[in-house]
Amino acid sequence: MENPKVKLPTSNEYGFYEIRLESIGGLGANLSGKILGELGAIYLGLNSSSFASYGSEKRGTPVKSFIRWSNPNIEININSPVERPHLLGLFHERLAGKIPVMAGVGPETIVVVNSEESPDYMRDRLKMHAGTLVCVDALRLAMEAKTRVNMVMLGAMAKASGFIPLDDLKQIVEDTLGKKYPAALSGNLEGLEKGYNNISIEKYEDDGKYPFQEYKEVKREWGYDNAPIGGINPHYGSTINNDLSGSREGYVPIFKKEACINCGMCDNTCPDMVYQFVLGEYKGKASMINLGPDYHHCKGCLRCVEVCPTDALTAGMERDVDIWKIHVRNQELLVDKMEFEDVGPNSWMRSESIVTNKLH
Amino acid sequence: MVEQKVVFESGNELASYAAKQINYHVMGYYPITPSTEIAEYLDLMKSEGEHDIVMIPADGEHGAAGICYGASTGGGRVFNATSANGLLFSLEQLPVQSGTRFPMVLNIACRTVSGPLSIKGDHSDIMYALNTGWIILFAKDPQRVYDYNICGIKIAEKVKLPIIIAFDGFFTSHQKRRAQIIADDKDVHDFIGELKLEYHTLDKENPIIVGCYMNEPDLLNNKYQLHLAMEEARNVIAEVFREYGELTGRSYNMVEGYKMEDAEAALFILGSSYDTARMAVDKLREEGKKVGVFTSSVLRPFPKRELYEICKNVKSIIVADRQDSYGAGGGNMTLELKAALQDYKANIEVASLVYGLSGRDFYIEDGIEMLNRAYETAQKGKVEKRFDYFGHYKGESGYKIQRYFDPIIGEKARPGITSVEIDEESGKMKVKGGIVKDSTKMPKRWTAGHGACPGCGIPVNVNMLLRGIEGEVVLLFQTGCGFVVSSPYPKSAFRVTFIHNLFQNGAATLSGLTEMFYEKKRRGELPQGDDFTFIMVTGDGGLDIGMGPAIGAALRNHRMIIMEYDNGGYMNTGYQLSYTTPKGAKSSTSHVGPAQKGKATFHKDTPQIFAATNIPYVATVAESNPTDFIKKAAKAQKYANKYGLAFIKALSACPLNWNDNPRYERSVIDAGVNCCYHPLYEIEEGITTITYNPEERNKKIPVADWFKMMGRTKHLTKPEYSEIVESIQKEVDRRWERLKARHESPFL
Repeated sequence: MENPKVKLPTSNEYGFYEIRLESIGGLGANLSGKILGELGAIYLGLNSSSFASYGSEKRGTPVKSFIRWSNPNIEININSPVERPHLLGLFHERLAGKIPVMAGVGPETIVVVNSEESPDYMRDRLKMHAGTLVCVDALRLAMEAKTRVNMVMLGAMAKASGFIPLDDLKQIVEDTLGKKYPAALSGNLEGLEKGYNNISIEKYEDDGKYPFQEYKEVKREWGYDNAPIGGINPHYGSTINNDLSGSREGYVPIFKKEACINCGMCDNTCPDMVYQFVLGEYKGKASMINLGPDYHHCKGCLRCVEVCPTDALTAGMERDVDIWKIHVRNQELLVDKMEFEDVGPNSWMRSESIVTNKLH
Repeated sequence: MVEQKVVFESGNELASYAAKQINYHVMGYYPITPSTEIAEYLDLMKSEGEHDIVMIPADGEHGAAGICYGASTGGGRVFNATSANGLLFSLEQLPVQSGTRFPMVLNIACRTVSGPLSIKGDHSDIMYALNTGWIILFAKDPQRVYDYNICGIKIAEKVKLPIIIAFDGFFTSHQKRRAQIIADDKDVHDFIGELKLEYHTLDKENPIIVGCYMNEPDLLNNKYQLHLAMEEARNVIAEVFREYGELTGRSYNMVEGYKMEDAEAALFILGSSYDTARMAVDKLREEGKKVGVFTSSVLRPFPKRELYEICKNVKSIIVADRQDSYGAGGGNMTLELKAALQDYKANIEVASLVYGLSGRDFYIEDGIEMLNRAYETAQKGKVEKRFDYFGHYKGESGYKIQRYFDPIIGEKARPGITSVEIDEESGKMKVKGGIVKDSTKMPKRWTAGHGACPGCGIPVNVNMLLRGIEGEVVLLFQTGCGFVVSSPYPKSAFRVTFIHNLFQNGAATLSGLTEMFYEKKRRGELPQGDDFTFIMVTGDGGLDIGMGPAIGAALRNHRMIIMEYDNGGYMNTGYQLSYTTPKGAKSSTSHVGPAQKGKATFHKDTPQIFAATNIPYVATVAESNPTDFIKKAAKAQKYANKYGLAFIKALSACPLNWNDNPRYERSVIDAGVNCCYHPLYEIEEGITTITYNPEERNKKIPVADWFKMMGRTKHLTKPEYSEIVESIQKEVDRRWERLKARHESPFL
């Protein structure tokens, strides 16, 4: 095989340089993974593999994408997830929650996060054990360049990696996306450059502030000894402790109780059973009364805002409003307390399938 | 050697690229994860004019297999791809294909067989194919998926047997790797040559009978011929692999091994895990342990001599099976390897581990653990445990689930939102109530926290229906988005009893349960007053593949409701066309390009199909007309509980694949109603009533106005599609005028 164009700065015991992208569906992380994979194989002369966490790239879904690079004489023989990334891209700062996106991050890891905040602030937010933290305000830069977050992130990751050439990155974007969406090309290239040129870096030693997080497989309470046979699930209504806030893309419906005429239209258009109606009194008569939304389950689709005949429901930016002041707990719950689990939508479709980028 | 080029592609991409290069005559297919992409990529290439394969979207895998069979009898080249229950649904056709000796190529992206339903990869599907008389190659990586597809057709045509190219679902089907492809399609054609069949059904001069009625003694002879062909395949595979090596520099053996020469203990493992296990071997070799790993690229004919040759010097083998032949003491590869070694009187201890079911990852550490067990056995000279599972666990003892809700029964399930009476004079049903505001009283049988996309229409429609259903319900969902987003184990969004069955068979399943209920009640085995309303919920996809059983249930007139949420596509697998997808719409199997203009046929008129079964109640509903919707639900319940099957169809928004803003979905549905693409009506005991007439309200709009609201149909407003839009408008008008005529006359 030909000599690689770049020298991998580091590799694990098997000779792999490993990249993991953590994102929310819709931000283009899967496409970024494919671009990086192909960049390695075709443009940089490396051996390369890439795949996504199988199951989902829907809007609002947490997704992972994995890329392995090696020198061309080393075969890539594994299919398992990247556990200890050399380069980790976090496409959305909201991922810093209960989803263990920082698993496997150690002193040798470079973490690139989409955030307007400083590395020092983000280190605490991410509870980062050690390593190099790179912040890039990808959302703002993407808006300036009229491109998507993923282009800025790719540029920033190239710079942070110290060895991915910007020119090759631009070339692959031109050759692939540029052919399919020529009108967006100049914005995409500008996005790459802006990401490349606007990063802030900080390096953190293992100072004992935050422990190392191991990459773990999911383990359930139910196993072969105690799970009901046949996959029967007696735990009815148990998705109620899912928190789907992560599905929202900035906007939420804002509920103004005093303007509400309790017509029930929001309730019948809401796909997420958010509105809490109870028996009460309205205009001196017994009536079903809208107490307001349960924000744990609201995915921010704003269907309710459209059907509301008054201005009781308006669209607002989540960061501008303290929604937890308006929040109403699900009224039918038997339990007083419940621990929520952060999840995203969980179908297995790929939103890219309809616009599959064929890269021949 | 021929010119080749380096690409970075997944197994599915390479399978479709090979098919494009071969330029098959016909592909009959039905989408199923994880093999769906093969048809999608081929459709995309077709829309670009890159090949001439006739792509036929079947009504299910059984139908797809039939299409392929029929096409192959015509003496042309035929291709298909499937997975898991898709393979099992078509299984019945596989021995027909091989038994009548028509070659074709079927790709299988291996996936777990349901149920419980899993979409991930293991080998529980492919092992069902062992007895079908098909040649089976197993490709461990994307490069081989490509290579075996090119070799496969040549092998199949030489011995006149159909061939399966199998590979790991997701691990191989979806993982992109650096691979080489033959640069010029002509080199592929030169390699595979012309297809020449002695017998085919399109030969005027020589009429033939295909698929004879054949008993003893002939059938035994016929099967012996098949056996001989399979034996011949042993040599042909080796020969074609060798020729292919000369062509491309990549030559393959039926069996391959790693560090087997001096190994004392070995692992036998199929597919992508073989590569990972090689790395485990290297690790243990560093410790001085003489271990090796081997695999088979061919499952049928089973290369027993080659397998024996590669492992004859080891003392101990662990066979890691990604499936179990329950009760047999191992998966099929264990059983077959043991049988092969018996032929050679090999003195080798063989133990079996079932691992990696449902795509559980196989790590290097797992390979090390397995090899260490084999090594230990070799040292001791005796196997301790012949069979076990690998990676299973007991669970947390004392774990109790927390009940979040009371069940929705009794008073709680009967808030009195609607009441239905039969008008004594007219004999017609009258629904009172259904007021939107009051309907907020109905507890949500489908509760919050589910995983549907923001703005999804399915939960809206299901809960809208349930607002009109008083009392206890049992829900059955056919496979589809509605099921997958609501029931991810160990959770469920349903607060009532819920059954899922695969989508060709939900109606039959609920028929059985409904009859069980009424019979138990008749026998006094259920307390009086314990009444259920049985409701099946299905997508339009489920009513493509499940149309037969649904019609069967309707013709038998069981006391149940079937509700279809029609979002016009197979959204659960990434939006392939369904028979209800609008003509001209783009989907991942009806791409729009220079050589193809979206879906070729009109949308299916499902309610009219059900009307033809003469069931007591058929209705169409839309969330944009909520009171009408709720009242129809109440009527459906009354009809279902009293007279027989009720069918309700809702037009259901899919923001992701309709490619529109979730915020405005209700107005998109409203436009779908107002353009009469989805007119609102009901048919009671054969009598049609239009319940909302947009013409009378001056709200009727052209279909194009609806199409322009959705990304999937927006292109239709361009001038080059005017002919298509006109034809759709004409068809919609025709159906609407016919409906109006029916509304006017009780005899139509």
